[in-house]
Amino acid sequence: MRVALFVPCYIDQFYPQVAVASLELLEKLGCEVVVPKDQTCCGQPMANSGFASSTKGCDANFSQNFEGFDYIVGPSGSCVLHLKEHHPSEKIRASVYEICEFLTDVLKVTSLSAKFPHRVGLHQSCHGQRGLHLSSMSERNDKPFSKLQDLLAMIDGIEVVLPQREDECCGFGGTFCVTEEAVSVKMGQDRINAHDANAVNYIIGVDTSCLMHMEGILRRQGSKVQVKHIVEILNHA
Amino acid sequence: MLSHAEASENFIADAARTDWHDETLWLVREKRDKVSKVLPEWEALREHASQIKDHTLANLGEYLQAFEAKAQANGITVHWAADAAEHNAIVHEIIAAQGSKILVKSKSMLTEECHLNDYLVSKGIEVIDTDLGERIVQFRNEAPSHIVLPAIHLKKEDVGETFHQFLGTPKGNKDPQFLTEAARQHLRGHFLASEVAITGVNFAIAETGEFVVCTNEGNADMGAHLAKVHIACMGIEKIIPKRADLAVFLRLLARSATGQLITTYSSHFHQPREGQEMHIVLIDNGRTRQLADPKYKNSLKCIRCAACFNTCPVYRRSGGHSYHQPVAGPIGSILAPNIDKKANVDLPFASTLCGSCSNVCPVKINIHEQLWFWRQDLMAAGLAPAAKSIGMKLMAFVLSNPAIYRLGGSLIRRFSGVLNTRLNPWYKQREMPVAPKESFQEWYKKR
Amino acid sequence: MSARELILGKIEPLAEVKHPGAFQGASGEFDFRASLAVVGARVVTPSELEEIFPGRRRYDKTLDGLSLAEVEVLEIDGEFGVAENGAIWLTEESLPHRVAPFICQHLVINVKKIVPHMHAAYEELGKVKSSFGLFLSGPSKTADIEQSLVIGAHGARSLTVVIHA
Repeated sequence: MRVALFVPCYIDQFYPQVAVASLELLEKLGCEVVVPKDQTCCGQPMANSGFASSTKGCDANFSQNFEGFDYIVGPSGSCVLHLKEHHPSEKIRASVYEICEFLTDVLKVTSLSAKFPHRVGLHQSCHGQRGLHLSSMSERNDKPFSKLQDLLAMIDGIEVVLPQREDECCGFGGTFCVTEEAVSVKMGQDRINAHDANAVNYIIGVDTSCLMHMEGILRRQGSKVQVKHIVEILNHA
Repeated sequence: MLSHAEASENFIADAARTDWHDETLWLVREKRDKVSKVLPEWEALREHASQIKDHTLANLGEYLQAFEAKAQANGITVHWAADAAEHNAIVHEIIAAQGSKILVKSKSMLTEECHLNDYLVSKGIEVIDTDLGERIVQFRNEAPSHIVLPAIHLKKEDVGETFHQFLGTPKGNKDPQFLTEAARQHLRGHFLASEVAITGVNFAIAETGEFVVCTNEGNADMGAHLAKVHIACMGIEKIIPKRADLAVFLRLLARSATGQLITTYSSHFHQPREGQEMHIVLIDNGRTRQLADPKYKNSLKCIRCAACFNTCPVYRRSGGHSYHQPVAGPIGSILAPNIDKKANVDLPFASTLCGSCSNVCPVKINIHEQLWFWRQDLMAAGLAPAAKSIGMKLMAFVLSNPAIYRLGGSLIRRFSGVLNTRLNPWYKQREMPVAPKESFQEWYKKR
Repeated sequence: MSARELILGKIEPLAEVKHPGAFQGASGEFDFRASLAVVGARVVTPSELEEIFPGRRRYDKTLDGLSLAEVEVLEIDGEFGVAENGAIWLTEESLPHRVAPFICQHLVINVKKIVPHMHAAYEELGKVKSSFGLFLSGPSKTADIEQSLVIGAHGARSLTVVIHA
């Protein structure tokens, strides 16, 4: 299966290990992975700031880089959701997948060779959950399901715990993280406290933006808790 | 006037109080969950309510006229007001005709929207708000901070202080039971003496020309049934087609609002009491403009339950007053810009777009999507601060040019230490991410 | 142009959306007595009622609501009860006065019929219009002071129900 790897801009620049893990995992699972070298960004930072009208150049660049692929896979719930909802090309909208979604829905993975014998707190990441339906949400009266937990259950030795208020937002929210800094940090702090109550060693999720925000607070606190993107766990030796 | 961000920062400065406010409102969300999860038909009810409202809004003119005709046939006088000023003038005229100088009023967010109390006071008329939470904030000269729980931002000590000051209750007494009893006695006197009562309207039925008022305290009824003149105020979007539709809405309303099965009283006003004058004032105040915009039309489905407030992680940690206008929370943030774009430009940005609100809304308003649309419209209206516009243009340029993006990225990584300063809002309470030596693309190139 | 004309003139009909009709999916597992307990009402037998409220009054129709302000315990008849939420439908026709169930200190209601849920309730109401009616569920209450539930706000302080169904 031929897959194009979509590398979100801030992962490219600050968390390359997440894209490395994505690449390696997809290859392990038998995909031919192409990495368009001139990709930049999905356009979400501008669109969510009210400047969707300014993303034409960015959207065109995305189209150029990802033309002709049936599967565009990226390790970010919010970026993929933005593309699915707002990219002008119908083909692009129909072809983008968040990586966990791709693993469960397209590759239909039933086992993984990864080991991660640690106690981890799962952060649900709002856009992936409520937007891409990666798992059921506490607000609705729906049959519970979780593509994330299904994948994590395949990992040897891992112990996954959900915090109180299972799917409350971490407070990153794009430029919100700086324009409403006080609320943003309070929300992040509260999420961390909820995970701390479960004595986890790692906080994991599908969006590096959430993780980057919580990591910033954890490190300022001098906490030993680390963050990892779920794909780093799924690909862990 | 402080922006939401500024007001929130002040709110959060008292961390313990913020935790208390957040926890208190989260509990209300949990109560809602408890009662919604035991109804297997919950999601079907939401869908049904949403469709009834969609249908009504698609035929609003017809339904308003049908309601008017039936209400008039029932002996109710129907008034129309294009805006808040007209609404207030009409209400005042009715009161003046009665010659009353004091009246009782039950909860009506519409009257908050119109600033009716201030207007009547300026005309020499005393307004007694009879909902307990509203009476408390009225004494304190504050606005309600929540549309269902007006005094949720106050602790019992605060209420005790206020009642000591205005009702003469013993200093230091903060027992809710005792304080409520004091309010009961105090307001009972007003109910028995009032000639004019103003209420809101939860639902108005086109089929029968009746309207429904829901309360837990019984204050709307205590006022209306003893008054010579009952004035009901409603936004035109409160119309629903048929009586039977009430079953759907009354099953959803209290469960969504407080986790109760139904409010204690759901009063159906069909005809005036014998010898009574009953008036209803239908107001537009920008609703027709909202209706005409497909992006925002759905906001008119709102039944004012405040489930969106209770679930909103931002509202819970910033408090209703941070939204600087009568209806706070997520729904307020998509209604207010329609009334005044400039004054409310900050509100659609007071959100992470987490989507929780849209999923607790009993009538399925796509609140988080409308927040996104408002951001586009407000920026297109030229309301962005200059620095932001410039920053966005720069970002758009960089992200459209791969080579410049790569260069920009490597520069940021190389000199990221520069951002480790309190001038960088991120850095106030968070460490910056550690800059890796290579970007992914640089690593991949060598692979 | 009147405000009415102005407002109606601004409303354009939108693309057709059908009314979904009557709600079909109501679940059936509701218990009136359990719901009454949840909403803070108590259920008694007629003989228990005699013991609790020997001095209760039934009132003929009075025109002046204020005359009911001194009533300690008022006994009235409800039209029917709703199992899902403990609500009882009352009408002006069978009340001494509209304000009666609110202005008395303690309220007693006789219920002779029970329907399962609100959809059934509105069918029961049918097209029969009362000049005024209400669903009354439990005693008056408020949680406006720091979310502490207080029974007895402005309406009746307690509700006692006798089920004859």
